[in-house]
Amino acid sequence: MSSAGTAAASTSSAGDEELPAESQTGVDGDDALVAARITKRFGGLTALDDVSMSLRPGEVHGLIGPNGSGKTTMLNLLSGYYEPTSGVIRCRGEQLGRATVQRRAAIGVARTFQQPRLLGALSVLDNATLGGWSHSRAGFVATLLGLPSVGTGDRALRAQAAELLHGVGLGHAIHRRANLLEHAEQRFLEIARGLALRPRFILLDEPAGGLTASEIEHLGGLIRTIRNAGIGVLLVEHHTDFVFRVCDRVTTLDVGRMIKHGTPTEVRTDPEVIRTYLGA
Amino acid sequence: MWSVLVSGLATGALFAATALVYNVMFSTSKVLSITTGHIAMLGGVFGAWFITALGLPWIVGLVGALVVGAAFGWLTDVLAIRRVLARSDEHLWLLSTLALATMVQQAVGLWWGTEPKPFPRLIPQDFGAGITDQKFWLPIVVAVAMALGLELFYRRTMYGKLFLAMSEDAFAARARGVPTDRIRAVSYVIAGALGALAGFAAGQLTFAYFALGLTLTLNGFIALAVGGLGSNVGALIGGAALGLLNAFSSYFVGGEFQQTISVGLLMLVLLLKPEGLLGSKNTRPV
Amino acid sequence: MKKKSAALLVVGLLAATLPFWAADQYQLHLAALIAAFWILIGGLNLVVGYTGQLSIGHVGLLAVGAYTFAILAGPEEVHPALAVLASGGLCGLFGLLLGLPSLRLPGFYFAMATMAVALIVGEFIMANGDLTGGGIGLAVPSFPAPFDSPAGFYYLVLGLAALVTWCTWNVARRMWGRGLIAIRDNPVTAQAVGVPVFRAKLKVFVFSGITAGVAGAVFASLQSYITPDTFVFELSLFFFVCIIIGGRGSIVGPLIGTMILTALPELVAPLAKLGNFFYGLLLLVVVLLVPEGIGRVFEVIAERLRPRRIESIPVRPDLDRLTRALQRPR
Repeated sequence: MSSAGTAAASTSSAGDEELPAESQTGVDGDDALVAARITKRFGGLTALDDVSMSLRPGEVHGLIGPNGSGKTTMLNLLSGYYEPTSGVIRCRGEQLGRATVQRRAAIGVARTFQQPRLLGALSVLDNATLGGWSHSRAGFVATLLGLPSVGTGDRALRAQAAELLHGVGLGHAIHRRANLLEHAEQRFLEIARGLALRPRFILLDEPAGGLTASEIEHLGGLIRTIRNAGIGVLLVEHHTDFVFRVCDRVTTLDVGRMIKHGTPTEVRTDPEVIRTYLGA
Repeated sequence: MWSVLVSGLATGALFAATALVYNVMFSTSKVLSITTGHIAMLGGVFGAWFITALGLPWIVGLVGALVVGAAFGWLTDVLAIRRVLARSDEHLWLLSTLALATMVQQAVGLWWGTEPKPFPRLIPQDFGAGITDQKFWLPIVVAVAMALGLELFYRRTMYGKLFLAMSEDAFAARARGVPTDRIRAVSYVIAGALGALAGFAAGQLTFAYFALGLTLTLNGFIALAVGGLGSNVGALIGGAALGLLNAFSSYFVGGEFQQTISVGLLMLVLLLKPEGLLGSKNTRPV
Repeated sequence: MKKKSAALLVVGLLAATLPFWAADQYQLHLAALIAAFWILIGGLNLVVGYTGQLSIGHVGLLAVGAYTFAILAGPEEVHPALAVLASGGLCGLFGLLLGLPSLRLPGFYFAMATMAVALIVGEFIMANGDLTGGGIGLAVPSFPAPFDSPAGFYYLVLGLAALVTWCTWNVARRMWGRGLIAIRDNPVTAQAVGVPVFRAKLKVFVFSGITAGVAGAVFASLQSYITPDTFVFELSLFFFVCIIIGGRGSIVGPLIGTMILTALPELVAPLAKLGNFFYGLLLLVVVLLVPEGIGRVFEVIAERLRPRRIESIPVRPDLDRLTRALQRPR
């Protein structure tokens, strides 16, 4: 399932095929999150130029590259904050071109942010439970009326969120106000919130930023556990050692173009990647 | 018919001047202050007081009104803006300027009284002057002069350029050593003086009335939104459009629907062209 | 959590038994006024305190509710209970019509739109004298027995206020409450978890319209005579201050704020003269010094007196537990 083959998927594939050659196995088309031949322009600036990649369930896919390479743009495109100038974003066969950010949550695409975006006024538990919004069947009127199903459903979601919080290591802070958290705790809370969405895919935007070495180890363990549960993880990161340790596939971008795609070993030893990004 | 046109342009000029004042304050603080209309009210009320009650010559009354306006502008910055901008909560300044506006309106109401009082003639003129009455062309002249003056200020003077720098990117300006707090205070003082000037010039049209502030805040804002936030020419156009719309609708339909029609105009423009007629899409309105 | 429930219970008990220990009719009237205001403010609290939409024109909706009730229950001789429902429904519709174009606008624009509505309503009332009595005003009928006595009417208003309190409390503590706070504090997060931001704002706004309409109806009946002067713009400011001073994101805070601020001018005579200046000053002080509301002040003081030292415990995942949590069926 995760074999990338030696075919270096590139931007120069034949015009009539949308996806990189190695993903023609059918696994991608069915249940992957796919970005096919994406170009994104902001005014005169081309942030992404004909880039294709896919995120499969149960894999960890790293996305690396220097600043300005288009990593964050790609993540924002996948999570719905931008629309591609050309190209197609698909999830499990459904085209997502004009779909809203909220639709991502409904189909199971969760994300974290470069700077954690938490609700400081709420407790850690409330923040995590909020991730389960799309699973709450409580409408506004039903909530107003205090129907019993609302309370039952909410309690279940809170319980699940609490389990996730214990799982990521925040069990000691469940009732703390979120604005009292330390940086690592904030990042892990965002991950818990993302998991509360019961996602098929979770997109992590530089989650190792500001973490100590041991915290990064814990992060790696979390990511592996998430992957083993069958969730596809996109890891946008600058800590390249960490990426190569944790990922099953890695895509490298530079000034909006993909320069290498493959297993960590393949990418790490690619001369082009070393030249443009990893350094001599 | 002509009198409807002229009176519409005159009230429109007051709206336009208010929109200009909004622009000046917005340029350095990214804040739209609810006290904007009240500055003009103060200009009218204090102008009337200086000239009528204290018997001062109208030039002195004018200077006095300008000083009061400038002081109130400075007070707005110190009380309602400075501390609030430092906090992260975005719309706190809406509350603080609302609070200050209420305070000044109520205080003036208690002191000056709640009925509109007449504003004195500035230039000797017969009351039957019709469309050449100074109560019409004073506000118009002042509004246009203000717009021209501001354009010159921004293009030719150092301070003006600093204002522009701050409105483009306050963070970068601060990084370059621009004393943004002081510049903002200066801009609010200037805005206060300009607003008072507008209120003084329009005093014969509006009378010296303590409750003028709130409706002027709203109408000045409509002029601003229609013309485009950040554009001085837009302010003139928006003000004229609103003033004429009000005047003609009063003439044809009756004066009871003025507010409804003004807001209708606002909604229409916002739905069709949210950044206003001459506003740029980049200016993110708050 | 428990302390807040206890506080609510005490307040509830006091309120329910008020006619028995109130000193005179006047105090009963004041309590009914507080309850009537709270019907509006409780609904508005969801809009301002939870969703962060700064609506400063709700006095307009109060007026619409009041006049609708006065006209229907008076000259049209509709049963007051139906008239109350009509007031609520009409104002809910108003909320929908106002909210649809305005809720997408940025904060200041939205505030101005709501302020404009308050002024427009005032204009309309004056302009349609044959319907509304214009500047002279309208007499407002009272409810039929058993609600025609002061105590009876008080219980009616109290009941409605309790209902609004319960409904908004439900919203606050469930998923919707979290979603609304997300819209207020971090709309990007709200979107990311799937909250339909505009539709949520609209639903809450319509609800606040309904409560304003009902509040207007009972308020009018309580006053027994309404004129346009009853609904000055500063009343909107008053509603606002009650919420901000009580603290955003709380039900109990604004409730206590309403009680105190309504009663204050009655109890402290010099304040009555200062009137709206005082509310402006209060709002300014709160915004500058304690923007999170008085409730937060108490929390901060309590923390200073009894500091709960937050130990710095390193984050240590429990991967087995995480695996189990992730394996729950979708």
